[in-house]
Amino acid sequence: MVQERRILYEHLDVPDINTFDVFRQYDGYKRFEKAINEYQPDDISKMVMDSGLKGRGGAGFSTGLKWSFVPKDIKPCYLCCNADESEPGTFSNRYVLERNPHLLIEGILICCYAMGIETTYVYIRGEFTLGKKMLDAAIAEASAKGYLGKNILGTGLDVDIYTHPGAGAYICGEETGLIESLEGKRGQPRNKPPFPAVEGVFKKPTVVQNVETLCNLPFIVGNGVEWYTQMGPTYGDARFDPPKPDPNTGTKLYCISGDVNKPGVYELDLGLTCTELIEVAGGLRGEEVKAVIPGGSSAPILTHYELDTRLDFTSLTLAKSMLGSGGIIVMNETRNIVDCLLNIMKFYAHESCGQCTPCRWGTPWVRDIVQRIADGKGRQSTITRPKFGIAENGRWGDTGETEEIYEDLDLLESVANNIANVDTMTWNTICVFGIAVSWPAVSYMRKFRPEFEACIREGKLVTLSVAEATMKPEENYAYQQRIIPREME
Amino acid sequence: MAFIKLNDLEVEVEDGTNVVEAARQHGIEVPHYCYHPGLSRPANCRMCLVEPYVFFPPAGAIVPDRQLATGCTTVLRTAPPDRKLDGKYDFIVQTDSPRVKKAREDILEFLLVHHPLDCPVCDQAGECDLQDFSYRHGHDKSRYLEVKNVPPKKDLGPDVLLYSTRCIVCTRCIRFCDEVSGSGELGLIHRGSHDEIDIPRNHGGAPLQLLDNKLAGNVVDICPVGALISKDFLFKSRPWFMKKTNSICAGCSVGCNITLEYKEDGVYRLKPRFHGEINQHWMCDDGRLGYHYVNSDDRLQLPLKRVDGELTPTHWADALALITEKLLGTEAADVAPEDIVVIGSAQGTNEDNYVLQQFAHDVLKTTQVGLFGQLPGEEHKFPQFTIEADKNPNTAGARTILGAANGNVVLEGDALWERVAGAKVVYLVSGGPERPLEAAESAALEKVDFLVVQDVLPSDVTQLADVVLPGTTFAEKDGTFTNSTGWVQRIRKTIDAPGEARVDWEITQQLAKQLGGEMNYHFAGEIALAIAENVPGYGEATHQKVGDEGVKLT
Amino acid sequence: MSDEIIQIETPFQFTEENRLEFDKLMGRYPVKEAAMLPTLHLAQKQEGYISPAVMRYVAELLEVSLMKVKDVVTFYPMFFEEPVGQYVIRVCHTLPCALRDCKVVLEHLKTKLNTDVAAETDLAKGTTSDGRFTLMKVECLASCDVAPVIMINDDLHRNLTPEKVDEILDNLE
Repeated sequence: MVQERRILYEHLDVPDINTFDVFRQYDGYKRFEKAINEYQPDDISKMVMDSGLKGRGGAGFSTGLKWSFVPKDIKPCYLCCNADESEPGTFSNRYVLERNPHLLIEGILICCYAMGIETTYVYIRGEFTLGKKMLDAAIAEASAKGYLGKNILGTGLDVDIYTHPGAGAYICGEETGLIESLEGKRGQPRNKPPFPAVEGVFKKPTVVQNVETLCNLPFIVGNGVEWYTQMGPTYGDARFDPPKPDPNTGTKLYCISGDVNKPGVYELDLGLTCTELIEVAGGLRGEEVKAVIPGGSSAPILTHYELDTRLDFTSLTLAKSMLGSGGIIVMNETRNIVDCLLNIMKFYAHESCGQCTPCRWGTPWVRDIVQRIADGKGRQSTITRPKFGIAENGRWGDTGETEEIYEDLDLLESVANNIANVDTMTWNTICVFGIAVSWPAVSYMRKFRPEFEACIREGKLVTLSVAEATMKPEENYAYQQRIIPREME
Repeated sequence: MAFIKLNDLEVEVEDGTNVVEAARQHGIEVPHYCYHPGLSRPANCRMCLVEPYVFFPPAGAIVPDRQLATGCTTVLRTAPPDRKLDGKYDFIVQTDSPRVKKAREDILEFLLVHHPLDCPVCDQAGECDLQDFSYRHGHDKSRYLEVKNVPPKKDLGPDVLLYSTRCIVCTRCIRFCDEVSGSGELGLIHRGSHDEIDIPRNHGGAPLQLLDNKLAGNVVDICPVGALISKDFLFKSRPWFMKKTNSICAGCSVGCNITLEYKEDGVYRLKPRFHGEINQHWMCDDGRLGYHYVNSDDRLQLPLKRVDGELTPTHWADALALITEKLLGTEAADVAPEDIVVIGSAQGTNEDNYVLQQFAHDVLKTTQVGLFGQLPGEEHKFPQFTIEADKNPNTAGARTILGAANGNVVLEGDALWERVAGAKVVYLVSGGPERPLEAAESAALEKVDFLVVQDVLPSDVTQLADVVLPGTTFAEKDGTFTNSTGWVQRIRKTIDAPGEARVDWEITQQLAKQLGGEMNYHFAGEIALAIAENVPGYGEATHQKVGDEGVKLT
Repeated sequence: MSDEIIQIETPFQFTEENRLEFDKLMGRYPVKEAAMLPTLHLAQKQEGYISPAVMRYVAELLEVSLMKVKDVVTFYPMFFEEPVGQYVIRVCHTLPCALRDCKVVLEHLKTKLNTDVAAETDLAKGTTSDGRFTLMKVECLASCDVAPVIMINDDLHRNLTPEKVDEILDNLE
């Protein structure tokens, strides 16, 4: 069995690790001290770039690359720490905030040192009242000890961290939505470009990083790039000749929930398979796996045929899904996929910010169609249309065969694809919320089409067995198109 | 200038132009709702999606970009030499590729899912972007089977109604109130598909603040659909039944460019027209709703003369004869030129005033020329607009022309009324909305022996007159106004003057002729030529040159 | 429809303590408007909900128009525009909790409190007649490993069963 490798979570269960003194006993702030004593800011940026660290918030964008886009000559520059953890199935940041807030502060300090940032806002979702309390206390303590505020440790470095509470809007987890919300407005995402790195909060360059990403920094600085890159696979990007390294380095806080025996956060090297992760999480609760959502509710679903997919950024992307925020939701044979999709679509219809047309009116439309199917009111053609082809007489014409038409399934797919097209990966929306809606809608429907058809045919919610409900690999678009990346030597 | 390939056209556009405007300049329509050239660009309607081309190194070719881009936020700029596409283009963009057309169809389908399709009873029908773009770019049927949202109709303020069901949440109105009027009364409530435009209300729906700033009417103009409706225009006319003429607002000295929309029976509404250096895209509600006096039933339709202390209708020949008699007849011996005061109007056109001063100078031989106009109001300053205190459209022009042509001093204010009080004959041209008189003014006018008033409505001024001549409003005559910043701009005759009312300069000319003058102008443009010749600074201000854009005085 | 503006009769003001807290917030942002969410949280803590008087007060403090405040208040579900119960019970009903029978917990709460679930624009619907509880459904609370979960005011309760819910409710004052 794959073993956990706890780095970010190593001291999570140490009593009172949330206090400065205890944190200090476990190397706390020593990595930051190392950073300011041994490295120039640019060295830190280079280390982060070389480490191959990818943003843990969802998009999996290279952190080093993101930092390199920030113009050096425009000041002030801000850091926004994204602690608006709202993606269903994701809950790793909560534990960091509630139990080990000093680790986050240390990560922020390293980032601020590297980027020359003096002000950091930690956007904490409004429901994390305990997390905010703990972080506020930790900030006060760190300030008292001279690790925050003006002239930190006599180095002339100034860093202030402020917590900023959200108020229950999922879209504020989108980086520009977060910035708008931080500016005191509705959390409606902005058009890009300009990207936040160039023009972010208060029209100034802004680095937006997830809690988990920032928590990786102390370890990259403390243990070195070489140590870090040993964890997780580095693939070769075959589009380039010779293949370009595509690192998926480090550990990931996998959040696993749903039908497993021991749901929770497991810190593991990137790149283990879905099957392995379920095993780590105490095995399946139930008889067989029906489906797995690999990266929070936005991610396209995986069927039981696809459980050998490795859970890292590259492998999942090439398998037409995504690692996203690492929230894995497992569903066993008793689950109805239509019902699950309905739940998710209700979530998205509720959380759409309503700014741009396709998402504002497309998302509730998709929800309503799924609702109708779940209610057994989905439409199926009573007249079957003739299927043209080579007929018995050897000529082109009506083959005599008939096709069953499920209009609502076609409609569902079409409407979802009009918000954001999952095949071409293009969206008509302002932000990626659009694709977060159409990805589940289209992937659930395509991969578990028999179950959707059964609901329409029978006029009620019907749960089929795993074998019946799942499209065979040869009919599964994602399975057919998936590429298994090769690790570099 | 940026060199652009726009569809199959090769065009040059100025740096900083966006794709929507660049296409518009070359006759290509890129449909859009949220984009308005006078406001910020949130790109939320997603209607103006276009297909940019980029260089894709692995293929070594120029290919369509993976994502479509919104035309309103895609700004065209000259690219550095090494970044030119195909060696020469700064940008390549398709506005009618299959992908773009499909995207437009899809967006329109979404825009219409909750729309009530109540065009037959909607004021906007006929000038509605939703109708037009659906017709040109949309599907012909809807696939939407679910229940439509039915948000309530709302009263937003003195002149604005919101039919929320028709709203497509483009937020132009909100941005207008934030950016141009700076008053911020409008905003969104709720979230997602339940978004609604609203003013602040308590939880029960009672308003805490109204949309009652002086620029509020503009939100109706910029609403691309029939959601925001002017109460003044509600259910009055179908847009296609009205004729439209370019004109200038006569409400204050800003001189907002407008389109005057009218039918045979009167003016129906005024809409602002773009002028980059005067009013941008906007006009104020005072001007917008200030046209009602033009249609008033009380308008003076016949000349009036005082019989036994009462003003009584008469015919033109009689009225003009009365005046001629006063100046040439038996009593004329008592009237020396310095006893006559001629007062021009800041409501009148440059042409009216030119003929008037020529009349004073050449025929009456008086140097007593004054200027009259509406009482000043309040100045209102907004972040991107100003309403001036001077409520006359042509104070600057009237002052210059009355004075400059022949070196007369123009009497105004106390000096004027002092002079009037001592005069025997006063010929006063007024005009515009009903003008109340202040005590000093009426005291002075009461002392006048023989008062001729040329006006459009019965008012305090006409009450004191011995003869009243019915003139015309800005909607009924041709001419030019000069605004406070020195722009000479055209107004045009749209409707006929009521009854026997006549264009002001024609009345003056007729009078001049009867008194032996040699004026013989046939139309306003002819007078403008004379102005151009004789008035310093007005050399360029002929009607041909003024056109729709106006001429700035040199 | 009417053109009558409702006058806000009872004005709202921060307590001295909250005013100090607010002044602290002001030092954190380069523009005042940015303090909107924390200020509204503070005001809601004091008043219980965001009344028109609160909106006007916050608008004046942050130098924005009244509508900007209303705009923000209606966007974020955590701000209430009408009075709520002493205890606000938020029941998560997103997928991971749904897979762990949050429905049972919700139904149990409905029966036990004898109330419906609040709608976002009608909180009174989910408020018990004695004004002690307001029951509402919310989206993912980011505690999927201990599903089903509910939040009662600021406290998260995990791994719930009807029995546990009873126990928790009984332990409230």
